[in-house]
Amino acid sequence: MSTEAIPAERPKRNYNALFGLTLLALLVLLWIILSVATPSFASANNISNLLRQGSMIAILAVGQTFVIITGGIDLSVGAVVGFATVIVAMLINAGVPIFLAILITLLVGVAIGLFHGFGIVKMGLPPFIITLATLTSLRGIGLLMTNGNSISINNDAFQLFSRSSFLGVPNLFWMVILVGIPAYIFLHHSRWGRYLFSVGSNAEASRLSGVNVQRTIYMAYTLSGLCAAFVGVLLASRIGIGNPTQAEGWELQAIASSVIGGTSLFGAVGSVHGPLLGAFILATINNGANLLNVNAFWQRIITGVLIIVIVYFDGLRRRGK
Amino acid sequence: MTSTAQELHPAPTLEPGRTILELKGLEKRYPGTHALKPINLAFKASEIHAIVGENGAGKSTLIKLLTGVMPRTSGDVIWEGKPAALATPHEAMALGINAVHQEVVLCRHLTVAANMFLGEEASRFGILQQRAMVREAQKIIDDLGFDLPAHVVLGDLTIGQQQLIAAARATVRGTKFLIFDEPTAYLTRKEADQLFTLIRRLKGEGVTIIYISHRMEEVFELADRVSVLRDGTLVGTRNIAETNDAELVKMMINRSIEQVYHKEHFTPGATLLEARNLSGKGFENVSMTVRAGEIVGLYGLIGAGRSEFVTTLYGRHRKSAGQILWEGKEVQVNSEHDAIRIGMALAPESRRDQGLCLNLPVGLNLNLPIYKRISSNLLISSAQEKTEADRQIANLRIKTPTRNALASSLSGGNQQKIVIGKWLAHGAKLFIFDEPTVGVDVGTKAEIYRLFGELLSKGAGIILISSYLPEVYELADTLHVFRRGKLVATHGFHTANHEEILTQALAEKQEKPGGQI
Ligand SMILES: Nc1ncnc2c1ncn2[C@@H]1O[C@H](COP(=O)(O)OP(=O)(O)OP(=O)(O)O)[C@@H](O)[C@H]1O
Ligand SMILES: [Mg+2]
Repeated sequence: MSTEAIPAERPKRNYNALFGLTLLALLVLLWIILSVATPSFASANNISNLLRQGSMIAILAVGQTFVIITGGIDLSVGAVVGFATVIVAMLINAGVPIFLAILITLLVGVAIGLFHGFGIVKMGLPPFIITLATLTSLRGIGLLMTNGNSISINNDAFQLFSRSSFLGVPNLFWMVILVGIPAYIFLHHSRWGRYLFSVGSNAEASRLSGVNVQRTIYMAYTLSGLCAAFVGVLLASRIGIGNPTQAEGWELQAIASSVIGGTSLFGAVGSVHGPLLGAFILATINNGANLLNVNAFWQRIITGVLIIVIVYFDGLRRRGK
Repeated sequence: MTSTAQELHPAPTLEPGRTILELKGLEKRYPGTHALKPINLAFKASEIHAIVGENGAGKSTLIKLLTGVMPRTSGDVIWEGKPAALATPHEAMALGINAVHQEVVLCRHLTVAANMFLGEEASRFGILQQRAMVREAQKIIDDLGFDLPAHVVLGDLTIGQQQLIAAARATVRGTKFLIFDEPTAYLTRKEADQLFTLIRRLKGEGVTIIYISHRMEEVFELADRVSVLRDGTLVGTRNIAETNDAELVKMMINRSIEQVYHKEHFTPGATLLEARNLSGKGFENVSMTVRAGEIVGLYGLIGAGRSEFVTTLYGRHRKSAGQILWEGKEVQVNSEHDAIRIGMALAPESRRDQGLCLNLPVGLNLNLPIYKRISSNLLISSAQEKTEADRQIANLRIKTPTRNALASSLSGGNQQKIVIGKWLAHGAKLFIFDEPTVGVDVGTKAEIYRLFGELLSKGAGIILISSYLPEVYELADTLHVFRRGKLVATHGFHTANHEEILTQALAEKQEKPGGQI
């Protein structure tokens, strides 16, 4: 049999990178168009604002992507963000040092993720169901804890963080980099990243190959919970209050960012840079629409159409090639 | 179809010997692969035309073009004298072209009857006539001589039985031209005989048959003519009476093979694994040992409990009684993870369900069991990842454009090679191969058997499950025969003949599928 390599045009090989570049091009294009269309877009103030808006969804989208790659979904992330604002606000107001307050809040996120893993692995619940259940109950628990009131955080240093910049770039955006780089290495260059993909592709084949499928699932949801709790801390810092009803619908924005970024809801396909770009594309559209005085209702419609268009073309290319 | 009652096979319109279907310069390109180079070939009415060729030669691709599953790149297909577009499966079926594909493409969650009438369900006023369909399906199945129930869920049947249902399904649709793509790969000898009877009967009724197989003896048993594909080109067509095994193999791989079953005998070393009175789901009270340097063969019908037995050894299922000893000490194997840590490796039976991550790259699939070894801390050494993957690709001659191609884009036999290949670099002491050569071509089979020898010489032991008697017969140092969950006989190398072993495996009573053994 002939083993000489078939002249390959390297199919799929750089697919990820290529798709990432296309998204980046789309983002830049949007920025150029908006700079021309409205003078206020390119102002330093607005760009910082846009970066801040996009950052939090971007971090959520990264965690969400880990979960989606395993073939699951995490609907709870918005609720976890809201819940985390309450936890961190209460801790800080109770005089707990900021560093410790943040750490505890992050651990709460981890615990919620572990609980999801437990529900899926041990109780056999579908991811959609267990995370939906957490979504509603976390909001409820948060409301109980606060009696339905907002808690204003009386600590200026904590709030200053999200309003300041470093080297001219908003701190919140630095946080995206802080999360993004390890996430990238983890997903694309570590053993565990490979396992996320293999479990999403075929869990049975993975376990027969020695992959600890249960641990992989625990890990995905834990990371998603961790990201969400982290975003909760950032949000609390940004708006200065703890309120369990915050971040309503953010889970959908995170999923949308992830999907725009090339993640397949069937699992086993996804990256870190894709969802990050996806989140900033969404943020740009919202920001631009605001500046152009487009009705807020229209913004939602545009976002919906955009999701369909991008995912459709992505699917076309995947199949076509 | 308006009522479930339908004539089994319509009278063909052509007398035997006339050309029914002709390929003129038929060609197919996938990105990165020229799967079929322009092919000219004519099929005669009511002949059985075998197509052989090594893995990735383009056999399944040809079938996909003829059944409208994939569009062709160029060329013409002439059906009964007129060009046919064959753009959709529907069009092919309307002409009377049907296929039983290499991988069963039916709905596993539906009943056998629902699958048989999928797409043309019987209904009255929009309400499905479920009971009538089951009755009708059962009639067809009985008529074909398959001993299978029509009311059970398809997924409860063995892969072989599913394949028979797929065949039955293909015969009920006014078929004039029927293609079988490696139909016997998962069939037991008995089921294969039932299928051959069906094929001969269809031929008698004027249906033209294309029969694809890697098993030469089947080709000589059934076919009138045989065509050989190599690397997407038609090397030649022969009348079956005017050719022989050696010539076909030579045409297929462009070299000759002296000996497919390469058997080296080693003096067995220490006992690696011992099962003592082991029972579990699907098998009962099985005892056996595997020593270093020997191949222990498990023969039996599909569903005889062999796969259940080994997956229990491997920790996938719980044992209900008995002991597992590893190197003389009792061990608890509670998960695959435990098994692998001890030193076992399992290449499972079903490549689609258990063996492969189809929508991931070939390289990732090959490296999956060894990522721990090729990463330091958590980070993977990408150089090692590449070398390991490329080594197995070369070792087993896996035909793929690059290690980054998705596993799903490989031909069936090449996918099977990944299932085997991923364990070769793992360094296990006991290898369990469950139907390792399903759909693999002769040349590669010989290669895999040679690799078995290599593993043995390094002191490993092998459990080899096969439903293909010659394979276990020629390779196993110890041969255990399973029947309905029990180990019923044990033989040494060549100490019993085929008939004896077959009788032991078959026994007097037939098993009822879909239920317990
Ligand atoms: N969907 C696909 N995309 C890209 N390449 C493909 C696809 N399907 C098949 N190929 C390639 O086309 C070639 C022929 O494949 P085909 O399935 O026809 O082989 P085959 O003769 O049926 O082999 P086997 O005996 O292993 O079943 C192979 O090199 C395979 O990798
Ligand atoms: Mg094939």
